[in-house]
Amino acid sequence: MKCDRCNKPATIHFTEIRDGKSLELHLCGECAAKSGYVQQAHLTMNEMLNEFVKAKAGMSNRDALVCPDCGMKWQEFKDTGLLGCPKDYEVFSDQLRGVIENAQHGATHHTGKTPAATMALEDSVKLRQAELSRLKKDLTQALERESYEVAATLRDQIKALEAALPPSR
Amino acid sequence: MNPQIQKLLGKNGEWLASTGPQSAVVVSSRVRLARNLADFPFMTKAGRLQRAELHRLCREHLLSMTSPRPFFYIDMEKTDQVDRQLLVERHLISKQHASGDGSRGVAVSDDEAFSIMVNEEDHIRLQVIRSGLQLRECWREADTLDNALGQHLRYAFSDRFGFLTACPTNLGTGMRVSVMLHLPALKLAGEIEKVFVAAKDMHLAVRGLFGEGTEAIGDFYQISNQTTLGRSEEEILAEFADVILPRLIAAELSARSVLEQERPLMLDDKIGRAVGLLRNARLLSSEEALFGLSHLRLGVAMGRVANLTMPTINRIFLTTQPGHFQRTLGQPLDGDARKAARASYVRQLMTPSGG
Repeated sequence: MKCDRCNKPATIHFTEIRDGKSLELHLCGECAAKSGYVQQAHLTMNEMLNEFVKAKAGMSNRDALVCPDCGMKWQEFKDTGLLGCPKDYEVFSDQLRGVIENAQHGATHHTGKTPAATMALEDSVKLRQAELSRLKKDLTQALERESYEVAATLRDQIKALEAALPPSR
Repeated sequence: MNPQIQKLLGKNGEWLASTGPQSAVVVSSRVRLARNLADFPFMTKAGRLQRAELHRLCREHLLSMTSPRPFFYIDMEKTDQVDRQLLVERHLISKQHASGDGSRGVAVSDDEAFSIMVNEEDHIRLQVIRSGLQLRECWREADTLDNALGQHLRYAFSDRFGFLTACPTNLGTGMRVSVMLHLPALKLAGEIEKVFVAAKDMHLAVRGLFGEGTEAIGDFYQISNQTTLGRSEEEILAEFADVILPRLIAAELSARSVLEQERPLMLDDKIGRAVGLLRNARLLSSEEALFGLSHLRLGVAMGRVANLTMPTINRIFLTTQPGHFQRTLGQPLDGDARKAARASYVRQLMTPSGG
């Protein structure tokens, strides 16, 4: 969903009641901060550093990044809130991290269903194991940068995944 | 008009059947899954030819899949404006799908229990609807349909992020779980704001009658999960169906009994005025009709209105929507002529003899 004020992805959702009428608002962090709905947009350490670097350099080179598959530019995503192809998730992985954590309330990893056709049971066990080690690595990193909220989510996900090994279905 | 859409018109459709559990408060339940094909760009970057190829491929696999119930396929480009509006009013396609352009379509089951949009924001948007509170039943069927499609179509999927979607807000399970709630007593009691606050705290989205970007009219609210990543489908469902909804339903029911015990006059006044409006209005807008129908629905659910049944209310509800009403009239009418026709149509349906 796009921000009502600009075209960035909306991460903050309000229902405002005015004179008994409800009004829906979907805003991005910046516009929400500008309108005074929130004290300040939530910035992770990483984003703050990026903002700082960007301010220093005039424009960061991440805005110049282009997906080789679909030709998507980061600025385009910022304008529309929509990605161009599956590969964008790899190409823009650094930039997307904050966006995804915001939109998904800190969640960083999928723990649900996997595609039926491509997934033999064996593969699925391997996949879960690979996933588990990745999660554990992320947890260590999260603790190092003192992102406790993220760490808590990761810990839950690790617990859930461990409980599901070997897979029950 | 599309003959297959015409066939739907005689019925209320699944979402307005009012036969499911808890239907005094829960109008309908819905589970939606977003999927994309691995070997194509998302819609934003799909050119005209890729779009057409995507559509052809999805349509072909849809038509050959093993389905739990019979269905038909509608090509949106060959469907006129009013028919598209009808599909929106029956909750079978989104507003976006109706007003969009380019090669796209939708598969609809004969009983309107499921619909699968092709080339909406994502390549595939699969939804299952049930009357009343039946989220697990919705999920079971959505899961089955998803598996049937996934047998032949290679979905865009990553180990880390799950099902890849055009918008990161749908990432992971791609699953949106929602219910349409009728909360007139909480509104009358002035407690509806509390619901919004609570919903926000629980990371839920509250929307109007026709989903994203629509206003809540007639005390109908669509409530859905906002996060799709980090929890399994079962966990999302369990929290929604076992924790959140029972609280909301209990709050509305308790507001109803408080009204009944402490302010019966006010309650009957609201219901009586709604009956008066619908039986006597000579100019009726679709919004006014909805407003009246909301209080009427409350009256019927609480057993305070004689000679009217839920199916009749649902019938009026659906057939007074702009698209449906234009089909009923058979010709486009404007302004007061339209309002007058609507008023006379509703008066007829509201007459106990049905005459």
